[in-house]
Amino acid sequence: MYGSLDISVSGMIAQRTRLDTVAANLANSDAILDADGNPNPFRRKIAILEAGNPSARSSTGRELGVHVAGIAEDQGEFIKKWEPDSPYARPEGDPDAGYVYYPNVSSMMENVDAVDAIRAYEANVMAAESAKAMVAQALRLIA
Amino acid sequence: MILDQLFDAGAMPTLGRMMQFAARRQELIANNIANLSTPGFIQKDVSVTDFQHTLGKAVARRRERSGSGPLELESTREVRFAPNGSLQLTPRTNRAGILFHDRNNRDLERLMQDMVENMTVFRVAGDLLRSQMSTLSAAISENV
Repeated sequence: MYGSLDISVSGMIAQRTRLDTVAANLANSDAILDADGNPNPFRRKIAILEAGNPSARSSTGRELGVHVAGIAEDQGEFIKKWEPDSPYARPEGDPDAGYVYYPNVSSMMENVDAVDAIRAYEANVMAAESAKAMVAQALRLIA
Repeated sequence: MILDQLFDAGAMPTLGRMMQFAARRQELIANNIANLSTPGFIQKDVSVTDFQHTLGKAVARRRERSGSGPLELESTREVRFAPNGSLQLTPRTNRAGILFHDRNNRDLERLMQDMVENMTVFRVAGDLLRSQMSTLSAAISENV
């Protein structure tokens, strides 16, 4: 019975991680420099979900459930903006000379992802609520 | 054992099996909900009608025998009761429905409906079982 709670919690964790990556993407959507100050735009992060949850406490929870297998980077092209006077513009001789590379983050895509993650999170909360109600019901049998 | 005879009387074993089945199916439904956005995940479930059919047959057999005693359910491909009373489910993958671009055939509305129905079954069986239990405890306390 506690297995279903384990499963729903694994779903909640996975969806929250997805929402975390969305927040990171939106926060870094204009970051053209990396942490060391080099012109190396931020790449969109994607949470990769995988069925099964090896870190669960119960055996059913390990067999079923979901977990984040890793955070991947979107290898899509950077957004190019024509800013020839920027100190970070591509140098002469580069095919993109005069352009500045911006992160490949689209706020629309991120918003869609966020809504999807929130709704999925809510569905998991509902499942956890019903598991709780069932446990309470079963306990009332002997009380 | 006198306790076995008490707990195998009337509708109690049937109700117990119903609760057991609903509790295990809740895990499968929770799993389907948890994997709503997992790419390549195919929904897994067991057939409720098949279980009800086996349960119905077992109840009929028990009624023919004496009307009381333990309930003996046949094992099916999906539902298997071990001799110690534990329940093993072998869910099949449900390939029906729309396959999304990420090769997941999610259907949130159906899932929620399944969850509510499953919970209702659990609640009804639990309430009925509880009333049987309180009858038992009334009988016990008045005899003492």
